[in-house]
This record gives sequence, structure tokens and C-alpha cells, in this order.
Amino acid sequence: MTEHQGKAPSAVTFHGSWTDFAKIALPNVLLTLVTLGIYRFWATTRERQYLWSHTRFIDEQLEWTGRGIELFIGFVMVFFLLGLPLVIMQLVINGLVFQGQPLLAGIIIFAMIMFVFYLTGLAYFRALRYRLSRTYWRGIRGGSDDEGFTYGFSYIWKNVVAAIPLYLLYPWASMSLWNERWSKMSFGPYQFQSDADWKALMKRYLLFYLVPFLLFVGAIMIGVSAAASGAGGTPFSTAGGVAAAVMIIFGVLGIYILMPLAALLYYSKFMRVAIGALRIGDLEFDFTARSPDWILYWLGNLAIWMLAYGAAFAPFSIFIAADPTQFAQQLEAGESILSFGLVIGILVAIIPIAFASSIIRYRRWKFFVVHTEAFGEVNLDRMTQSTTQSASHGEGLLDAFDVGAI
Amino acid sequence: MPMFFDAWHFDGQSAVRRNVEIEARGHQFYLREQDKQSGPFDFADLRFLENKADTKVYGLEGRDGWRLGLRGNVPSELVPMLPAAKTYGGLIDRLGLGKASLVFAGISAAVVAVVLFSPQWLAPLVPSSVEQKLGDALVGDFGGRFCDTPQGKAALAKLTRSLDDNPQDLQVEVANIDMLNAVALPGGKVLLFQGLLSQAKSPDEVAGVLAHEIGHVRERHVMQGLLRQMGLAVVLGGFDGSGGSTLNSMLSTTYTRDSEREADERSLQALKRANISPVGTADFFNRLAAMDGSGDIKDRQARTMASYSSSHPLSDERRKLFENAVVKGAAYKPALTPDEWRELKTMCAQDKDVKSGWGFDIE
Ligand SMILES: [Zn+2]
Repeated sequence: MTEHQGKAPSAVTFHGSWTDFAKIALPNVLLTLVTLGIYRFWATTRERQYLWSHTRFIDEQLEWTGRGIELFIGFVMVFFLLGLPLVIMQLVINGLVFQGQPLLAGIIIFAMIMFVFYLTGLAYFRALRYRLSRTYWRGIRGGSDDEGFTYGFSYIWKNVVAAIPLYLLYPWASMSLWNERWSKMSFGPYQFQSDADWKALMKRYLLFYLVPFLLFVGAIMIGVSAAASGAGGTPFSTAGGVAAAVMIIFGVLGIYILMPLAALLYYSKFMRVAIGALRIGDLEFDFTARSPDWILYWLGNLAIWMLAYGAAFAPFSIFIAADPTQFAQQLEAGESILSFGLVIGILVAIIPIAFASSIIRYRRWKFFVVHTEAFGEVNLDRMTQSTTQSASHGEGLLDAFDVGAI
Repeated sequence: MPMFFDAWHFDGQSAVRRNVEIEARGHQFYLREQDKQSGPFDFADLRFLENKADTKVYGLEGRDGWRLGLRGNVPSELVPMLPAAKTYGGLIDRLGLGKASLVFAGISAAVVAVVLFSPQWLAPLVPSSVEQKLGDALVGDFGGRFCDTPQGKAALAKLTRSLDDNPQDLQVEVANIDMLNAVALPGGKVLLFQGLLSQAKSPDEVAGVLAHEIGHVRERHVMQGLLRQMGLAVVLGGFDGSGGSTLNSMLSTTYTRDSEREADERSLQALKRANISPVGTADFFNRLAAMDGSGDIKDRQARTMASYSSSHPLSDERRKLFENAVVKGAAYKPALTPDEWRELKTMCAQDKDVKSGWGFDIE
């Protein structure tokens, strides 16, 4: 039994609709709110069940079998094994500084930073492993036999090496970590292979790297011309003033538009190269999103965030606009009725923001699925069950450090 | 009497999809595919997984990847044997979304209330030895920054005695740090910073501030604050992002302000009993209010470090509170004699061994 798959139609397709997804996301927001955030682990699970089951690979949908309780246990473990000790260490460091031992405090802080750095690498690895081990296709799942402990060390040293030549080797570090991470993953009986070449990224990376310098040079040039033309005159009434204003606009433009744009161009190339180098069994992958796709995607997300924050802050602005001085006075006096109102206000403000982040996750998944292509063939007889161990707890570490999975 | 139904099936061993017939025999069933057969399986081991378009998908307990899919309407004979479909799972499905939300909201409100109110009666239950150790761990000897001369200490002890009936469980120290502040720490420790003493115009001023900090100690505010902060951190830890921390600071600030009011009340009572004029303290708050917002780096460091003790919202109201407490024509006596006041004020300058600053200053 062999099923062949040609170039078109796409082997990886998405069949969800955001209105259907909203019917899952909205109750999730409500339940998360009334459980003081605890429900969000189950919310994540329900979201993924929808996304996975509306993603089709060749002829069969994916299935997400992760459970809310796993993510919850992961979170609790991190909270008690990591969060609490870190808080206590913070107190100890405070105490050491109080007692005049800044050197010892410094050493402990350094050790803590290294430890957290190690755990961040570990978290990336574990998150990917967890997600693969809960992803089923035709009753077969993925996973990894590796615990990720060596990956944690790779994560430290590769990032350190990347940083030594002023972060110029960052593309090497990220690509080599991508290869290392994926090469240790498997699906069914097949091991993933990844040998993406970091050198392909350098042009885009240098562009991103040089944007601040170019901006700086541009600003200096405008500044010089301003000084030349505006010397002696009153500022802001002469060409010098105009040039200063242009300089400010230039700076804002650079920081809020050119920098993210350059980063996006780099990331777009990274994903194309990285996913393009991924193989498993006789399958090869491709990622078709080009820079314009990424820019549109990014602008869409931006618009959603702006709408959400607008909706979140609208009630507050009415509150303040009604009587600003009285509001300030009452706040200063710390009136408890008002504090209660504010607490309710914050709780209500969480609704649009939580809903928006849910929609953003939907968009992200859809973006990746729509632009992923697979070529080659899958031999269903040889596609047997994974023999990897599957961790019983979820992405607690990942949750704690707030990093993405891919 | 066996019954047969059509279904699709993955056995979890390979990715091959099988079209099977379910042969039900009592509480067990077999899966038949042409000449092949697997089973028997217990209906009780089936787990509902998901609704996939028009198909209900089940898994089998203990069989990785085993799937059984029933398309369309499930035959009525089979329905009682199969586990019920789930939307949210467990409790929420049983109660319905609306009712479950109300129940959760009630529980959450109760938990937050317990975390906010219980420190008031939990704090006194913390043994003073534990509190003492905590205070020592946090501060120790403050890196040798406590000022000590016999005369200065004597003046400080006299001041403390006049403001509190049990001065033996208090440890009042002057820290050689140029900062206009004072803090109450766990274990009955009260620190007056040298900056406060240098800028004070009279011992009455220092008396009011000291009495305020002693008030925090006597009301067990320090321990309460610690417990409340920890409790809120745990309870609101479930929220990700800034929502939880905003709520946390919102809720705890309300309590900090209440504590400040209580400590001010205590301070006024202590001053009254000691027959010390509250005018000095009013002056102090006046000066503090003027400085508010101008916090330099040193000040901010200090505030961060003292964050687990008590913060002092600076406002005009507190000045008014102390001004209004002044009784016209009362025969107030100064908190210390001019000699004692001078010794206290210059204690840090006279102490040759004391260290100064924060330790990481380049001096
Ligand atoms: Zn206070």
C-alpha cells in the first residue's frame, strides 16, 4: 500500500475558519478569567485540538492528544522547582548586598543567569518533543529518544560563540541549533534530518545588522546639514529646526518600521531555508512564504493587537475622561471602592487581549500550514508506531520562559 | 447474539487505515476486516477523543494510537455501550458552561478573599523566632553599616522606650546611609537611615517616624505584607503576561495604604502618650512630599531593597493628619534633650568603624 503525492495539490492543507475557532476561543477566555488563569492550559489544549484536526496531511487530519492537565502539571512543576527557588535566591542576593558582599552576590547572579540560559535551551527542545509526541497522524505519533540535556549545553555555547564577534555569528548559532534540535526528533520509525546552511542567511542578516548603523549615519548627515544651514538662527523657525524634526521622524521610522522590517526579512529567509532543509523518510519539505507574505501577516497581527488594546482601554478612558482631577485624587487617597472598580476594569480589559492572542495563534498556525509543502512519498506499511518515550508533563518550562516551539 | 456495524480503524501499529466491522458481544467487541480479526476489546476501555466532521473518534485505554471512527449517526444499539461525547470535559460539561463559570468565579473570589484577609490572623501565628531568623537573613548586621556610640545608642534607647512599652523585643538601629527613609523589617527590626537624622530639625520628627515604624511592627504589618504578596503571587500566577502582576500590585497597594494609616494612628497615640508634639512629624512629611518623584538612583535602589518591608505613600493628607493632632496650648516636652539629640544625630560621624554607602559605590 503506497500512496504517492505529487507537487499539486498541496500535501499540507488547512480547513479551519476563524469564526468556528472563535466559538472555541471565546468560552476559553471566559473560563480562563473566572479560574484566575488556571483554565488556560485546558484552553490551549482545546485550541490545538481544533487547529490540528483542521490540518490535513495528504488525506488524513492531524490529531492533538495533549491534555490540559499535562500542561498544568508542567506549569506547577516549574513554579515550585524553579520559580520559588529563584524568588528565594533573589531574597538571598538582596540580603548579601545588604550585608556588604556584592562580589558573592554577583557570582550567584551570574550562576543563576547561566542556569536560566541552560533551561531556556532545554525548554525549546522539550517543547518540540512534547508537541511531536502528542501529534498523531493515522494513529502514529512522533517524539524523541533524547532528553535534551546536551542540547541545553549546546544552546549556551553556541550562543556564546555567536556573541563573541559582536553577534555576527548569530545566524550560524540559530541554524545549527535548529539542525541539532530537529535531527533528534522522529515521527513513527523515521528520524528527522536537517542540514540547513547558515551561510545563505548572511546577506539578510547583515542588512538587519547594518540598519542601526545606516540610520545613525543618516541622522549624522542630516544633523551636519542642519547645523550648517541653521547656524545662528532661532531653532524651529529655520531650516535647522525643520531638519531636527526630520531627524526625529527618521529615528522613529527607523526604530518602529525599518528595524522590524529588516528583522522580518531575515526571519522570512530563515524559515524558508530551515524548513526547506528538513527531511524525514522519503519526504522533503518546503516553506513558500516570501517576505511580502510575512509583511502582510505581520501587519494583520499588528491591526488585531491595536483593535484589542483599543477595546481594552476604552472603558478606562471613559472613567478618566468623566472627571480626571477627582479620579487622580481618589487614586492618591487609595479609596477601596475605586480600587475595586479598577480591579474589575483590569479583569474586563483582559478579555479582548486574551481573545486577540488566541486569534493570533490561529493566524500563526494557518500561516505556517498554508505555506508548508511536502514532497515525496509515504509508505504506510512501513510507517509504524513510534517507540519513543513520551513525557507525561507538558511545556511547563517553555511556558515559564515564554518562547515558541519551532 | 452478535451485532455488526461499519467503522474505520487504525491499530496504532501502522499507518494503514482499515475499514472494519464492529462485532458487539455483550460488553466486549471484535473488529473484523475481511479474513482478519482483532479483539476482544472491552467497551469500557473506549475513550471519546473528538468529533471529526461527521465522525466520532474513540481511542482505547493502554493502546497507543489505536483509533476507531464511527461515521454518521451511531446506531442506537451501540450508543449505550459508548462513552459520552465531551466538549470541555469533566465538570464543565456536567454543569454547562454558564453554571460552571459562575461556580469557578465564586471559588476564585473566595480564594482571593482568603489570600487578602487571612494574613491578618495568620501573621501573628508565625513564631517570633522564625521572624527573627528571617530578619537576620535579610539584613544581618547590614554589612557593618549600623552606627554605634554609647551616647548615641543611649539616646536612641531612650527614644524607643518613650514610644513603646516593650522595647526589649525591638531592635532599632541607625544605618549609615544617606537616605531620607526608615523601614520596619521582619523580627521587630526598625532601621532609621542616617539621611533622615541629618535632615531632621528636631528629635520630635524622628520620634514620629520611629513610632510609625514601631506601629508597623506591633500591627505585624511586615509579616502580613510578606504573606499577602506570596499568596497573591501564587493565586494570580496562573495569568500570563502583565495582567496578573498588575492585579497583584493593585490589590496589595490597597493594603499597603491601609497599613500606613494604621501605623500613622499608632504613631499619633504613641506621641500623645509620650507627650511629644506631632508638629515635627508633620514637617517631616511636608519635606518628604516635596522630595517625592525626585528619587535619584540611590533612592530607587533603596526602595527596591526595602520593597518587602513597607512603602510609604507620600501625600499631603498625612501631613494634615499630624498637624490636626496638635493640641493648642499643650505643654509638650521635647523627645530628647539637646545633648542627647546631638549625640544621636552625630552618632554615625563619631563611629570610626562604621562602613558607609551601599558597598558598590566607587568611593
Ligand atoms: Zn510605613
